[in-house]
Amino acid sequence: MQIYLPIAEISVNIFLLLGMGIGVGFLSGLFGVGGGFLMTPLLIFIGIPPAVAVGTGANLIVASSISGVLAHWKRGNVDLKMGFMLLIGGVLGSTLGVWLFTYLKTLGQIDLVIQLSYVVFLGVIGLLMLFESIRAMRASKTGPPPRKHHNFLQALPFKMRFRSSKLYVSGLLPIGIGFFVGMLSAIMGVGGGFVMIPAMIYLLGMPTSVVVGTSLFQIIFVMANVTVLQSIHNFSVDVVLSVLLLVGAVFGAQFGAKSGAKLKGEELRILLAVMVVGVCIKIGLDLTLTPSDFYVLGTIGGM
Amino acid sequence: MARLVRLALPLFLLCVTAAHADDLDVDLSKPDVRLNVSFKGSELLLFGAKDIFGDLIVVVRGPNKDTSVRLKEKVFGIWASTDEVIFSDTPTFYAVAATQPVQDLLPEHVLQSERIGTTRLGLKALSKPPTASAKTIDDFNAGFIRNMVAKNLYAKNLGTIRQIGKQLFRTDLWFPSNVSVGEYIVETYLVLDGQIETKRTTYLRVHKVGIEAKIYDFAHNFAFIYGLLAIIIAMACGWSANAIFLKRGR
Repeated sequence: MQIYLPIAEISVNIFLLLGMGIGVGFLSGLFGVGGGFLMTPLLIFIGIPPAVAVGTGANLIVASSISGVLAHWKRGNVDLKMGFMLLIGGVLGSTLGVWLFTYLKTLGQIDLVIQLSYVVFLGVIGLLMLFESIRAMRASKTGPPPRKHHNFLQALPFKMRFRSSKLYVSGLLPIGIGFFVGMLSAIMGVGGGFVMIPAMIYLLGMPTSVVVGTSLFQIIFVMANVTVLQSIHNFSVDVVLSVLLLVGAVFGAQFGAKSGAKLKGEELRILLAVMVVGVCIKIGLDLTLTPSDFYVLGTIGGM
Repeated sequence: MARLVRLALPLFLLCVTAAHADDLDVDLSKPDVRLNVSFKGSELLLFGAKDIFGDLIVVVRGPNKDTSVRLKEKVFGIWASTDEVIFSDTPTFYAVAATQPVQDLLPEHVLQSERIGTTRLGLKALSKPPTASAKTIDDFNAGFIRNMVAKNLYAKNLGTIRQIGKQLFRTDLWFPSNVSVGEYIVETYLVLDGQIETKRTTYLRVHKVGIEAKIYDFAHNFAFIYGLLAIIIAMACGWSANAIFLKRGR
């Protein structure tokens, strides 16, 4: 059964969309990730224009982050003060990101930039995760890696106390991290948890218990910002597409979370790392394999 | 009014030598193509009657717009878009149907001036790289047409027109699901001995209807509120998913 999407302006099989929602929802429930890095490339792959895929993807992440943050909120695993500092940077960064997105689109380079960002970030993060989880499996008896204290990061001004995280660091640090991740999210159509969480652990030195909740908390607002900005600048948020994917994702995430409970933490991490590297390789191949036609249609004036 | 015209017509015929007003009548099975929720492409029947002997050509054109075409080149091992040519007023949809191959019906210069066939669209480059030669522009032009054919927006092959008896004819026009909205022009030519005897122009409106049109218009006219609503919908979905999950979990 086909459905015509009003903003994407193409007709897509409704069961394909529901299935994609269930599949990505299942994986995000299984691994506890937002799933944006899977959904956005999948949407582009089935023929949704990249701008609509990124805009609609941002909207989907609002939903999955809300759903995720509620559980953490009840357990008190959200560092609100840290979340707000990250959010300041995140809103600025994502605003710049959407502007950059619109500009690159007029240059005809947005597809390339999206693909390159995916290859670089998924490749680096995926490989790091893979090596670390293999190492962790081999020597699971040794404790977690010691926190690194970078001298120049400690020397930054505007130091603040973050009670929930038991930290005393410069406010510029979370703002900077939020800015960078926000910009990335806007361009790639992802929540950015896969960059945010390692940055929180290794750069800020936050305790792992509050990392996920705080990251999800700020992603909600950053992605809400991206949704509104993409709607205004690129008219690229398709609510019909969004709702269909959400319906599938809601059910998929339930089954995913239940299956995830049966697996060990390290096994899950290796699986996730393999998947991340897999997506990276697929997109990398698209960039290097000879295209079917050397001429492509571009866009004029951001439309 | 029609009667008045009919009465006046013989008078006109006396004055105008090349009047073929009644040689050819054309109509469409539907006056418009409606893009609604279940739209997955639409077939339209063009039918008509002609008074005199001759062949037929039907050309369908979508609304014009400027189009950017980019060349992909290998830069440091990856395929990147480089040079850009913008063609002005390219039809967003193009299809031709005829009773015989068009080059057998009309001389090349007439086909060129009437822009019959995808190779004769007469596209003008609005902007191009400073060093581009005429050959380069032709390559971009051919690349543009290949892309449009791949998207099913330009017909790859000549459509067929079925003649029923001596006078009646019909042809099926196919509009795929990715057609642009706007005013479409359908031109029907009656051709005899390498000359155009009569040309009829019919208009066809392609537009979004129902909920699709409402969402599209709302997204464009009230972009900010639309964005906020999208967020509210997403938040409601996320929230209810969590509520369902917690109930089931315990």
